[in-house]
Amino acid sequence: MSAAALIATSAVVLAGCSASDTGGEAADLTTVSIMAPYLVTNAPSGDNEIHTALEEIAGVTLDITWVPNSSYLDKTNITLAGDDIPHVMVVQGKDPGFVRNAQAGAFWELSEYLPDYPNLATTLPEVQKAASINGEVYGVFRARDGMRAAVILRKDWLQNLGLEVPKTTDDLYEVAKAFTQNDPDGNGADDTYGLIIPKWPGAIGSNSPYDVIETWHGAGNRWTERDGELVPSFTTDEWLEAVDYEKRLVDEGLVNPDYATFDSANWNEPFLNGKGGIIIDVHSRAGVLMSLLKESDPDSFQNYVEITGNLEGPDGVLHAHPTTGYSGFLAIPKTNVRTEAELRAVLEVLNNMNSTEAGALLNNGIEGTTYTLDGDLAVAVDSAPQALKDAVLSYSQLGTNVTGFQGYLPKQPTEYEQEMYDKRKAIEESDLESAEYDPAAAFVSKTYVSKGAQLDTIIADARIQYIAGQIDRDGLTDAIALWRSSGGDAVIAEINELASQNN
Amino acid sequence: MVALDTAVAASTALDTRPPARRRGARAHFTQFKWLYLLLLPGAIYFALFRYGPMYGAVIAFKDYVPFLGINDSPWVGWAHFEDFFASPDFPRLLANTLILALLSLLVAFPLTIVVALLLNELRVTMVKRSVQTLIYIPHFLSWTVVASLTYLLFALDIGPLFQLINGVLGTNIDFLTDPGWFRPIIVLQDIWKNTGWGTIIFLAALAGVDQEQYEAAIIDGAGRFQRVWHITIPSIMPTIIVMLVLQMGQVLNTGFEQIYLMTNALNRSVADVFDTYVYFMGITQGSYSYSTAVGLFKAIVGVVLIFGANWLARRFNQTGIF
Amino acid sequence: MPREKYRFNTRAGRAFDVFNVVLLIAVGVLALLPFIFVTAGSFATEAELATRSFFLWPETFSLRAYESILTSDAFIRAMVTTIGVTVVGTVIQLLLTASMAYPLSKLNFPGRRVILALIVFTMVFSGGMIPTFLVVKDLGLLDTYWALILPMAINPFSLIIIKNFFQQLPAGLEESAMIDGANEMQTLWSVVLPLSKPVLATFALFYAVGIWNDFMSPLLYLNDSSMWTLQMFLRQVTVATDLSIVDADPSQLPPAQGIKFAVIVVATLPILLFYPFLQKHFAKGMLIGSVKG
Repeated sequence: MSAAALIATSAVVLAGCSASDTGGEAADLTTVSIMAPYLVTNAPSGDNEIHTALEEIAGVTLDITWVPNSSYLDKTNITLAGDDIPHVMVVQGKDPGFVRNAQAGAFWELSEYLPDYPNLATTLPEVQKAASINGEVYGVFRARDGMRAAVILRKDWLQNLGLEVPKTTDDLYEVAKAFTQNDPDGNGADDTYGLIIPKWPGAIGSNSPYDVIETWHGAGNRWTERDGELVPSFTTDEWLEAVDYEKRLVDEGLVNPDYATFDSANWNEPFLNGKGGIIIDVHSRAGVLMSLLKESDPDSFQNYVEITGNLEGPDGVLHAHPTTGYSGFLAIPKTNVRTEAELRAVLEVLNNMNSTEAGALLNNGIEGTTYTLDGDLAVAVDSAPQALKDAVLSYSQLGTNVTGFQGYLPKQPTEYEQEMYDKRKAIEESDLESAEYDPAAAFVSKTYVSKGAQLDTIIADARIQYIAGQIDRDGLTDAIALWRSSGGDAVIAEINELASQNN
Repeated sequence: MVALDTAVAASTALDTRPPARRRGARAHFTQFKWLYLLLLPGAIYFALFRYGPMYGAVIAFKDYVPFLGINDSPWVGWAHFEDFFASPDFPRLLANTLILALLSLLVAFPLTIVVALLLNELRVTMVKRSVQTLIYIPHFLSWTVVASLTYLLFALDIGPLFQLINGVLGTNIDFLTDPGWFRPIIVLQDIWKNTGWGTIIFLAALAGVDQEQYEAAIIDGAGRFQRVWHITIPSIMPTIIVMLVLQMGQVLNTGFEQIYLMTNALNRSVADVFDTYVYFMGITQGSYSYSTAVGLFKAIVGVVLIFGANWLARRFNQTGIF
Repeated sequence: MPREKYRFNTRAGRAFDVFNVVLLIAVGVLALLPFIFVTAGSFATEAELATRSFFLWPETFSLRAYESILTSDAFIRAMVTTIGVTVVGTVIQLLLTASMAYPLSKLNFPGRRVILALIVFTMVFSGGMIPTFLVVKDLGLLDTYWALILPMAINPFSLIIIKNFFQQLPAGLEESAMIDGANEMQTLWSVVLPLSKPVLATFALFYAVGIWNDFMSPLLYLNDSSMWTLQMFLRQVTVATDLSIVDADPSQLPPAQGIKFAVIVVATLPILLFYPFLQKHFAKGMLIGSVKG
C-alpha cells in the first residue's frame, strides 16, 4: 500500500513539474522584477530611500531580489530552471552556464534594440563587443574602469635606499632585489623581501600578478595575434620569457616564499608589517592600504605608499594590462518578457535607470543624506545610517554606465589621499593608451565552454610548478602540449574561425 | 535498559511475534490502521521530497540546460558516462578518493570511538561535561575558517606548527604544498573538526551500558582495561556496526569545500577527488548533466557498498541496519 | 554518580585517570583556541587584524564590529527568525520522524524491510538541487518557512536509530497500555515517547543543528530578504571573496575582517549553548532501566 502511495504521489509531482505557467503579462509593465547580487553584509530592505527614489526615476515599481554574491551562480541557475524568472537579471560574466542558457535562447539579443535608447546606446562599442557572445549582445553591460593594474611600493623603503620608482620590468627586478638584500627598513636584519604574491584562486587570465607580468613582457592578454592567427598568450616566446623572469624572482628569494599558498585575503599584511615591499594588483588596493595605515598611524601614514602603473617590458614597449572594461551585464530573460512590446517596456525602464539623475543615485546615493557635493566630487556623509551606506553599494550593482560614468567621483578624506587619487586617475588614463586588449574577448568557443576551466588549470598549475622547480622547461612545454591535445587545438581553431566570421 | 546500542541490536533480533496472518484486506487494515496512519506522513515525505526529485537523475543522460528544462533538454544517452570513464583523470580521481576514504575509515572513525571511550572513563563530571562541550565547538566553524587557520599555522617559514615540527624533526617540509602531506593534513583537519561531534552518538550509546555487568566484572577481578575490552566495546558494537555500514555508503563522498580550499598548484595531483571534479564540471563549467552522471556513478557505488556491508554484517551474525 | 561505585584505586588506574584528564583537557583547549582567536579578532580593530596574523587577545579593544551588526535590523530579524524556525522545525521533524519510526519498529508490520531499504536508498541517492527545488516550488512552499523545514523533515539516519530504540522498548509496557484501550497512536504519545527522552534529545540536537546550519534552503527557497536566516549573513561574510569578481568591480571590497569574525561569533554562540542544555538528558539514558525490572 505504501509503495502504491509512493508511486501515486511521485506521479502527481511529475505531472506538476511539466505543467507550465501560461499567464501572460500586459505590455505596459507596472512592475519590473530584477535579480541582483549584493556584496556587503546586509541586503537592502525593500523600502529604503534609494529604492523609492529609483522607482520614481524608473517610472515603475521595482521588485528586486537581492542574492548574496557568494552564491549568485547557484541562485541564477535555479532561477532559470523555474518559471518565475525576473524581467531583468544581473549576470556576472560569460561563464559557461550563462553561455549555455543564452545559446539555448534564454535571453533577448539586444543589438538592434539598444541604439534606440539614448542612455543605452553605448559610447564604448568595443566593450559592448567584448561583452558579447560572438557578437551577439545578450545584455546591457556594466561598465568598469578600463585600466586598473598598478604597482604598489613601500615609499619609505624606496627613499631609504635612494631608489627611483620602477619604470620597466628590469627596474622592478632591481627594486625587488634591493628590497630583499639591502635592508630597506634599516633594522640591520635580513628580514625583508620584494614582491608579495598570493595564491590566486582563479586559473590563467585572471589578472593575477603573473598574468600582468606576462602582458608587460609582450605575451598579450589571454590571447594575442601572431602571423595573422589568434593564439593563447602562453604559446608565445614572450610568455616563456616572462615565466623565466618570474622564476628568477622566486629563485633569488625576492618573493614571499609561500607564494603558492599565501591567502590573498591577507595580502595587505606583509606590506603593512614591513616584510614585503611590492604588490602588483589594482590601484584601489593602495587606497585600502592607506586607510589602514591612517587608522594605526594617523600622523605619518602618508610616508608608506607609492604607486605607479604598468611597466615597460624588455622590448622597451609599454604593454599595459587592461580590464575587460565591464563586469557582467543586465540580461533580459525571455520567459516573462515574451513580446517585443514587453521587451521595449523593460528597456525603457533600463534607459531611465542609466540617466544622469539615476546615475548619481545608484553610484553615490542621496544628496544631503549619503553625500554632499564639493564641486563635482562627492563627499561621503559619515553619519549616514550604515544600512543606507550599504544600500548604496548594493544599488550600484544595477548601474550600467554604458555611456560613461554617471555618478560623482568620491572626494578623498585628506588632501594627501586626494593627491594620490588624482595621480592614480592620471596614470590609469595614460596607461589606457597602451592597453593590450584581448583580441578574442568577444569569442566563445564551444570546446572552451565545455572544457575551458580544466584546460586553463593545466597551464596555471604548470606555471607554478615550473616556478617552484617541480618541473623543468621540458615539463612546461609538455604541459602546453597536453593543453593542445586535450582540446586546446580545437579551441584555437574555433576562435580563429569565429574571428574570421566576425570581421 | 535503554541505550542506542541495545536498540540497534534489537533491530535484527528474531521476530518472536506471530507474523501478520493472511486475512482479508479489511481485517488487515483494521489490525494495522493506526500504524498505517502513523507511517503515512513519513511515507508522503519520502515520496514527495526524496523520491519525487529522483526523476532529475535523467539529466545524466541529457545535455541539460536550466532554461530548457529537464524534459526539453536534448538526449545524449551514455555520452557523459563514456566521457567520464574514458577521461585520463578517472583513475587518478578514483585513487585519490578511495585513499582519502580509507584513511577516514581507518583513522578518523576509530579515533571517534576512542575519544568517546576516554570521555566515558572520565570520573569528574564537571571535566567530562566541559570537555564534551568544548570538543564539539569545531563542528560549527566553517571549512573556510578551518582552512585559513591551517594556512596560518603551517605557513612556510613563519607558521608556528611549521617551525615546531620542522624544528623537532630537523627538516624543512612545506606541509601545504608537499603532495605527501596533503592527505595527513586533510585527515587532521577532519579529526579536529568532526571527532567531537561524532562522539555524541557513541556517548549516547555508552550512557546505557548495563552497570550491573561492570559490578560483576569487578567482583571477578577484571581490570579496568579488561572491562572496557570485554564489556564496554561489545556493548556498543551494534552502534559501531551501524555507523560503519552507513559510512560505507558515503565512501566516495569526500566533501568538496575542505579539499577545494586546501588544493594548490603543487599538490593538485593528489588532491583532485570526485567531489571537486563534480564542482568543476557542474558549477565552473556549467555542465549539470556531466556532474549528475558522476554523481549517479557515486550513488551506485554507494548503494552497492551499503547494502553489501549490511548483508555482510548480518551474515556474520552481527547486527545490520535493516 | 554510579561510576563512583567502582574502585579504580590501583596505581595504574590513578595514573591513567590523571593522564586521561590531562589529555582530554588538552584536546578541549585545542578545540577551543580557534574560537577564542575568532572572538578576539571580533573585538580587534581593522588595523590590528591587518597586521597581526594570530592572537588570542586584541591589543586595542574595539566594539565597532558588534555595533555594526547588532544595530542592523536585518541581522536582529534574522536571529529571531533562525531561532523560531529552529525551534518549530526541530519539534516538527522529531514528531514526523518518531511517528514513522514507530510502525517500522513493529516486526510484524507488513512491508517493513522493503520500506527500510527504500529509506536507506535515499541516504545515498538524491535527485539533486534543481529537481528538489522544482518540487518545493510546485508545492507552493517558496517564500514560506515550511521550505526550510519540510524538505529535510526526516533524516534517514535519525529515523533508523530512533526506530531501533523503539524496537527494544519492553513490549509489556505497550501491551498493558493497549489492554487499557489505548490505540497505537496514544501508546506512542503517552508511553513510548516519554520513555525515549535520551534518544529524542540526541536527535533534537542533530535536527536543530541541521536547521541552524542550513544555508542552501534559505538561499534557494526564500527570495524575500526580510525572511532570511543567520546563515545567509554568515555565508556572505565568510566565503572567500573571489578576487576576480572584486577585481572587475572597484567599488566592492570584501566585508571587513572584524565584521566577519563578529558574525561568526554571534551566529555560532546560541547553538553552541544548546548542547550543555541537552546534555543532562543524555545522562539519563539508564533511568528507565527500573521500569524494565
